[in-house]
Amino acid sequence: MESNLVIAEMVEALEFPNLSMQYGVSGVPHTVINDGAGEIVGAVPEAILIEKIKEILADETV
Amino acid sequence: MTRLLDETTRQQVQKAFDALSQPVAVIFFGSRDENCPYCEDTLHLLQEIGSLSGKIELILYTIENDLQEANRYGVELVPGIIIAEKKDGQIIDHGIRFSGIPAGHEFTSLIRDILMVSAGNSGLSAETRRYLAELVKPIRLQVFTTPT
Repeated sequence: MESNLVIAEMVEALEFPNLSMQYGVSGVPHTVINDGAGEIVGAVPEAILIEKIKEILADETV
Repeated sequence: MTRLLDETTRQQVQKAFDALSQPVAVIFFGSRDENCPYCEDTLHLLQEIGSLSGKIELILYTIENDLQEANRYGVELVPGIIIAEKKDGQIIDHGIRFSGIPAGHEFTSLIRDILMVSAGNSGLSAETRRYLAELVKPIRLQVFTTPT
C-alpha cells in the first residue's frame, strides 16, 4: 500500500501444487519475487526483504 | 448452512472490526465448482466475515464471466481475493491478494489486512516507506503458505 508498483499475494501452496512445484516450494513461508527472479525461504525481517528486492531490481538493469 | 467460524472467533473478529474506520472492499473471484474445490468454502468464509461489519463490502466475480475485472486485478488463480480500500465510492487497489482459501494462519492475515487497509497504515518502517515510494519498477511478491 506504499507503492502502486507492488503486488503482494498470499498463495495457498497445497491448492496450487503445480505453481508450488514450479518454484520448488518445500517449506513455508516461501516468498517468490518477480516470478522467480529471487526467493526467500522462511520468514525474514522487513529490512532483509527490502535488501533482497534491491538486489533483484539491480540485477534487472544489467 | 453450517457456520465456518465458531462463536469465539466470531466475537474476536467482531471486536477487532470495531476499530474499522474507512470502508474496505473484499473482492472475491470464484469459478464453477468442478474447477475450484475451495471456492464455495472461501465464499462462505468471506460472507461470514462481511456480516460482522457494515464497513466491509463484498464484491463477487467469477473468473470465466468477469474477464475484464480478472485482468484488471491480474487474477489467475481461484479462489482469488483482493483486499482494497473503498473511498468516495471508488475502489483503490493496494496490491493485496490471496490465492486459495485463507484458512489457518492466513485467516489471521486476512483479518489483519482488512484492518490495515481500513486504517490506511501499512505498519512498515519509515525507511521502507521511503524506498517503496521511489520505486520505478514493479515488484511481485508471492508468499507460499499452508493452512496450518
